[in-house]
Amino acid sequence: MKAPCRYWSSVTASIAVFIALSTSAMADAPLAYETIQPSKIVMGESAILRVTSLDSELQNMKLPEVSGLAFEVLGHTRQMEFIGGTASESSSIVIRVTPQIAGIFSIPGPTPKSQPLILEVNTDRNSGNLPLTLNGKAPRPPEPPEPKKGNSAGIHFAADGSAFVQLKMPKRAVYVGESVPVDIEVGVEPGLVTSLNGLPTIKGGDFTLNNLSRQPERQEQILDGKPFLKMIWHSVLAAVKPGDFSLTVDTPLTVKISNRPSEDAAFANLLGGPFLQNFYNGIVPKEITITSSPSELHVLALPTNGRPADFSGAVGAFKISSDVSAVQMTAGDPVTLKMHVSGAGNFDRVDSPMLDHIDQWKTYPPRSSFSSTDPTGYKGEKTFEQPLIAAQPGEQTIPGLSFSYFDPETRRYERAQTAPIKVTIDASRADGSLKAPAGGASPDTRLASRTSKGLRPDHPLTADSTTTLIPLYLQPRFLALPAALALLLAGGLIGLRRAPKRVASKATERMLAQLSAVARSGDSSTFLVTARQLLLQTLAQRWRIPPEEITPAELDARLGHDAEDIGRLFALADEAKYSGRAADGADFAQWLQIVSRQLNYEAPP
Amino acid sequence: MKSMRAALIGALALLSAVAAAQPPATAAPPAAAAAAPATASSPDAAYSAAGLYNLANSYARAGKPGMAVLDYERAALLAPNDADIQANLNFVRSSLHFPPQAQGGLARIARITNPTAVAWIGVLGILVAGASLLVAKVLARRRTVWVAGLCLGIAAIGFTVCNAIVLGPKIHEAVVIASTTSVRATPVPMGDPLLQLSEAETVTITAGHEDFVLVRTATGRSGWVARADLADVVPRRSVR
Repeated sequence: MKAPCRYWSSVTASIAVFIALSTSAMADAPLAYETIQPSKIVMGESAILRVTSLDSELQNMKLPEVSGLAFEVLGHTRQMEFIGGTASESSSIVIRVTPQIAGIFSIPGPTPKSQPLILEVNTDRNSGNLPLTLNGKAPRPPEPPEPKKGNSAGIHFAADGSAFVQLKMPKRAVYVGESVPVDIEVGVEPGLVTSLNGLPTIKGGDFTLNNLSRQPERQEQILDGKPFLKMIWHSVLAAVKPGDFSLTVDTPLTVKISNRPSEDAAFANLLGGPFLQNFYNGIVPKEITITSSPSELHVLALPTNGRPADFSGAVGAFKISSDVSAVQMTAGDPVTLKMHVSGAGNFDRVDSPMLDHIDQWKTYPPRSSFSSTDPTGYKGEKTFEQPLIAAQPGEQTIPGLSFSYFDPETRRYERAQTAPIKVTIDASRADGSLKAPAGGASPDTRLASRTSKGLRPDHPLTADSTTTLIPLYLQPRFLALPAALALLLAGGLIGLRRAPKRVASKATERMLAQLSAVARSGDSSTFLVTARQLLLQTLAQRWRIPPEEITPAELDARLGHDAEDIGRLFALADEAKYSGRAADGADFAQWLQIVSRQLNYEAPP
Repeated sequence: MKSMRAALIGALALLSAVAAAQPPATAAPPAAAAAAPATASSPDAAYSAAGLYNLANSYARAGKPGMAVLDYERAALLAPNDADIQANLNFVRSSLHFPPQAQGGLARIARITNPTAVAWIGVLGILVAGASLLVAKVLARRRTVWVAGLCLGIAAIGFTVCNAIVLGPKIHEAVVIASTTSVRATPVPMGDPLLQLSEAETVTITAGHEDFVLVRTATGRSGWVARADLADVVPRRSVR
């Protein structure tokens, strides 16, 4: 009987351990999920986000934070849910989601392991094929456009075939600086691609991709029998140098992949609710970057023959016109001359100095503004505004304006011109009062009139001018001057510090040569007297005292061990001077060595 | 003595060479150029305090306070002690209900004369201080002379440094020239707007990214602003 008891005990223990492990595993599993309805809206509408929890802990839930979306709690609900035949209590929180900008948003799940929800917000109904609602009643939805069918030839897909990116260019040969409108198409398979993690970018530094439209166009397309949501960005491509190039476009995105075996996925398909399906599927997001197939581009250099002197680098097809803010004005009043350059091309290189100098007019530098007629800035109008002030009354003519550009279609430089404008200048008012510029259409007229009354008068012009506003002492070229001066002065200081030793060294060499010459002549008395004189001069200079103050006591105090030899030399010099005692050759060599050592600061051997 | 003489001769020679290489600060420009400030589209123009001031007045009368403040600020860089420039700048600011700009004692001292003169005063200060140190080496006993020279030189250098501390930050300042512009959290047009800047407000640029610059407002708030809505007080490119 003991054996069966032990068997049942072990079975019971195993079951208990299994239940405990299952409970802990379930505790880690997500017990909350969320839904959003509808998942596609337009600006001005709201979506309802419902977060449901099975463990009734939603009171402390933090609202998600997504840039561009506003979240507002509408209320809490509690309900009974029947899952797998078992009743369980759950609570929900209902949140209104209001977009502030259009785009595709990823709303994080209620738990860290939850899948994020995707909310698509369009600017208008046409862009996203959304149903139009009117007074809460949805009219019959229009027939959805038939998705385009095509094949995948020439398209470079991601490894799992869930997405692709394509670069479409209208031409394969362009000029340096020429703006070329391009389309970047990114296709994603709905359900497999959860989010785009950034805008498409072009590879390589020899090109610039300007003004990428922030909101892509959306189309549905069927490729090889699979539906794809195609997003098309419009942009302008420009090359910075000539040559043959191969262009590719990268796009980062997140796709869903399953990290469970296919058997688990099959089992998940048998389950009823999507929540449990997700639980068993093991779907996880993965960030990837897809790259387009290379596109070849031939970039030509702009011709140098016939290039106008005022060519600013504008490449495209342009037209110009001009006008003035008033054709009749008073001398001294400002008038605004405008030049409009319209067309298609690289407007960032469209520049004009307008009128540099006109007789009897005061000219000011122009300002420019650009208004685009397409999202990429490829087409539009650039307006140059130049303030002019007439100095003399009478009939005057403002000369015509010209603008040079390169036309890639005709492959030559073109010059556009405007007609001269005649204006009438009245004599200046006697009171010289200030007024707003002619035309008077400025929105700040009140400010102008209020301001002009309190301004101090203009200054007479002087000849003083400068080419830059950067203070002189912050200009690198000027800074070289004080730096060089400081270096020079520091060098001078160092030179002065080293100079006495070098001078002393040369003087010592001269004195020793003189002493050697005396020694070679064999005149001992002259040698000893000269040696003493040299030593006295050197030591006096070194110790900064007069030579007569160098006494035997001073020598003892300062020279220590060498004082004995020097003292003996001084005594012999006195003796030679007064008694004429001769010294032999060995004495000369010895004394020369002693004197040399003292003059050169050398230590005794 | 020979070394000192050689050093001084060398310094003077270098000074002459560099001064000859400098563009003449007071060269006589064409009449039209003298009146007009330089921009990228007027390559032959040059800056003059009177020209910038008159242009700023024109903008103020035309109801363009952004451009007016910009040109007053530029004129004040060239003529910091001009009372008319400061008065009109303050008037335009006050008409827009901007708070008056506080000016400390250091700023008042630094604005005694224009930066070009201040730069040469600094060079002179280096020369005087350096020469005093050389004199101290050679004529150590004439303490009064070299100490006085050294103090004078240091004072001149200090004056230049003080001016640079006050005017240096102007290089990074910009004026809002659009009627209003949004300060955004990120340097993209879709970035969340944090606050609005009015025309003629002055900000400090601290960084740039593509078509946006990171600015700090007078109240200390930071954010990204479209580059096209601002104009630098000190243009980056000098006029040739």
